Amino acid sequence: MKTAIPAGRLGVAALAIAAVLPFLTDNYVTDVALTIVTYGILALGLNIVVGYAGLLDLGYAAFFAIGAYTTALMETLLNFNFWETIPFALLFAGISGVIIGWPTLRLRSDYLAIVTLGFGEIVRIIAVNLDITGGPNGIYGINPADVLGHDLTSPKSVYALGLVFLVIVLVLVIRLGQSRLGRAWTSLREDENAAEAVGVPTLRVKMLAYVIGALIGGLGGSLFAARFGTIDPTSFTYAQSVTILIIVVLGGRGSIPGVLLGAIIVAGLPEALRFLNLWREFVFAVALILLMLVRPQGLWPARLRRIAAPSADEAHDVPHAEVAKQIAAVTAGDPETLLEARNVTRVFGGLKAVTDVSFTVHRGEILSLIGPNGAGKTTVFNCLTGVLPPTSGSILWDGRSLSGLVPHKVVGRGLARTFQGIRLFNNMTVFENVLVGMDHRFRVPLPAELMGLPFARRSTGLHYAAGRNWLEFVGLADKAGLRAGDLPYGDQRRLEIARGLAGQPRLLLLDEPAAGMNPTEKQSLMGLIRRIRDLGTTVMLIEHDMLLVMGVSDRVIVMDRGQIIAEGAPAEVQSNPRVIEAYLGTEEDDADDGPIGNIPVGMLA
Amino acid sequence: MSEFIQLVIAGLTTGSFYALVALGYTMVYGIVRLINFAHGDIFMVGAFLGWTVLTALAATHMPWGLGILIALVLAMALTGGIGVVIERFAYQPLLSAPPLSILITALGVSLALENGVLLIFGPGFNTYPQLIGSGGFMIDGARITDIQVGIIILSFLLMAALYFFVHYTFIGTAMRALAVDRDAARLMGINVEGVIQITFFLGSALAAVAGVMEGLYYTEINFFMGFVVGLRAFTAAVLGGIGNIPGAMAGGLLIGLLEAFSAGYISSRWTDVIVFLVLIGTLVIKPTGLFGERVVERM
Repeated sequence: MKTAIPAGRLGVAALAIAAVLPFLTDNYVTDVALTIVTYGILALGLNIVVGYAGLLDLGYAAFFAIGAYTTALMETLLNFNFWETIPFALLFAGISGVIIGWPTLRLRSDYLAIVTLGFGEIVRIIAVNLDITGGPNGIYGINPADVLGHDLTSPKSVYALGLVFLVIVLVLVIRLGQSRLGRAWTSLREDENAAEAVGVPTLRVKMLAYVIGALIGGLGGSLFAARFGTIDPTSFTYAQSVTILIIVVLGGRGSIPGVLLGAIIVAGLPEALRFLNLWREFVFAVALILLMLVRPQGLWPARLRRIAAPSADEAHDVPHAEVAKQIAAVTAGDPETLLEARNVTRVFGGLKAVTDVSFTVHRGEILSLIGPNGAGKTTVFNCLTGVLPPTSGSILWDGRSLSGLVPHKVVGRGLARTFQGIRLFNNMTVFENVLVGMDHRFRVPLPAELMGLPFARRSTGLHYAAGRNWLEFVGLADKAGLRAGDLPYGDQRRLEIARGLAGQPRLLLLDEPAAGMNPTEKQSLMGLIRRIRDLGTTVMLIEHDMLLVMGVSDRVIVMDRGQIIAEGAPAEVQSNPRVIEAYLGTEEDDADDGPIGNIPVGMLA
Repeated sequence: MSEFIQLVIAGLTTGSFYALVALGYTMVYGIVRLINFAHGDIFMVGAFLGWTVLTALAATHMPWGLGILIALVLAMALTGGIGVVIERFAYQPLLSAPPLSILITALGVSLALENGVLLIFGPGFNTYPQLIGSGGFMIDGARITDIQVGIIILSFLLMAALYFFVHYTFIGTAMRALAVDRDAARLMGINVEGVIQITFFLGSALAAVAGVMEGLYYTEINFFMGFVVGLRAFTAAVLGGIGNIPGAMAGGLLIGLLEAFSAGYISSRWTDVIVFLVLIGTLVIKPTGLFGERVVERM
């Protein structure tokens, strides 16, 4: 794994070479370099959508077009100068980002391809068909950018302007990648539903990916218009969108050096292949296929780790980062009845998965929900957390209804969960997984975080320290920098718990936390659950392992076929004939033999 | 009224091309979750292969019906073979790689096919021999040509044949099993790679039929012709609900009609805008397309 510093030095060195390039070569090379810089800017913008957020966009050239046409039209019709047009170019590109983002938010990811492609084509066809945009001929006589009264017309000076834009975009995308928004995008790419369920406002985050990507595309468009002085629709075709996408994927999705390398290759290679004449495009296509076959992840794949966890000493030095204090702060005013489910029913098609279920969760208890497979336990969890709306009935949390809240809002109210099948963000580090779980309560405004203002840095330090302390709480502090998907099974379960806890929940829902664990791991899980309760967080768990359930629970609720059939202390439930019947079935003989009495714990498992 | 009928027939004719090409998109997507961006160019290759055969046969003076049949069969077989080769070398190694990587190779294949045909056949238009006369008949003032009728009938026959193949044969059942769960299908003893290749063969062969018919209908073909048809067919597949075979057929015909009506009543300059707006509007209202089913994910 490459560490951050050499990559940074390499980047600075590359930029330095780029800066002196025009002084060493002729105008032709400078011109090609400017094309590479323009593609670099565009690809960095698209990389936010495709690389960071994992969404597809086949119409990215539309934003490029909107920026270029805004600058061109405002300069030629309204006599604005280049700099005055930039805010408008960004504004219009941003608005179009919202327009394209909105209908695509709820679409399956595969459908994004055609919708974004359609959007790109619509923008181009409008430019071809309208008179104001000059139709197929485009717009002539766009003034060059001016700096202190000097027009930037020479190739060297336009190149310098492009390089400045590139550096601004670079700083922005690097900072974004390290911010909570960058993490949210990556979590979205890894597992959208899990992201939503641990507190990421996925719809807003997707929208932001399109909008910020659009802003960068618009900026690239303005630069393009000022560079050539003339634009026409042929620069903004589907092929252009595809070229930018190829740069991102060939270079390495999400990898900033990769994307820049991709820009150099895709924009530079056709120039280098000019001697092939007619064969050039064909050779380029075959080279593209071969490169993807050899390196499916891209030429320079993204680094796994964007931010490092603080060390134990650093984390312990930060005041207010202790896990106990964090939880105490949110659970202080909890009422006696934390949650109340009233007559909750959930129907799938004709099947009643959960029927008329009512129960309460008391502050500070460990409550288990057990029952045979298919009893409706996970459906109850899904209703509580907003994943599924109940067909009827209501859920009161702290006296207020939770109905109609989407999952990330429920997390914000203090309900966190884990999943029956582990759903970590595999291609993020262990530390970043925990951070995603706690980012919803990180209150620093995003611009302040991106600029690294002093108060934002302090809050970020506290945030990271708290995240690291949660890893320590579950015993994973020494694995903070590993890829989450590489952890052994038991550790993955504990990481999911840490991710849930890091959001400072008042109630933690664990869905079969012991599944697949060996006896030693189960033993330590029991200890962990008790420690969570001792912090002040109430715990409700679904579990099949009766040793664990009977060992840790204060109360047990038993479900069978969608209904609650028993409720009470572990010992009471164990001897309840209806429970035994649900687990073991009835036979005629059993009835004659009289009460079975306390069946061995092992049999229920 | 006569204009309306005229537009319906024109729309069904082009819609038949879109439907046949859309089937390839939808079958491949259903089975390997790949949007095969090279598929429009497969259609183009089919048109050029058909042209090559027909031009070669022109000297033999055989009956035109037989000539077209030979051209269709050869174009189907060869294009299907090309589809299989592409799958084997450009897609199969990446089936378990990130989906975007395989999408980029598909774009690369598309570029390679276009430029390959450009290198072999040149940048201009190639003209199909005029085999089917301009005969036809009138309905209520609308003129319908023989070739339009032939195209629509042949397309419907092929679509019906495909539907029966997928639903009532062993291989078709295997294809549907693969679409549901590739790993489970493999565990049941299905030769997954083989079924995927058959799917590519069928999709490519159907696209070739559309290519040859388009050549016969418009008489001029060009290396770039796959782009527009591919785009419309892909739109059709999504409109119908991608992965759904009857959906692709219905979507293709709908897009053809939409195109004919917008060209006839509004302006052909805005056809693409109208088609895409209808698509986006449909997806906003029904995110899975007209016939697609909602996939509920378990948590």
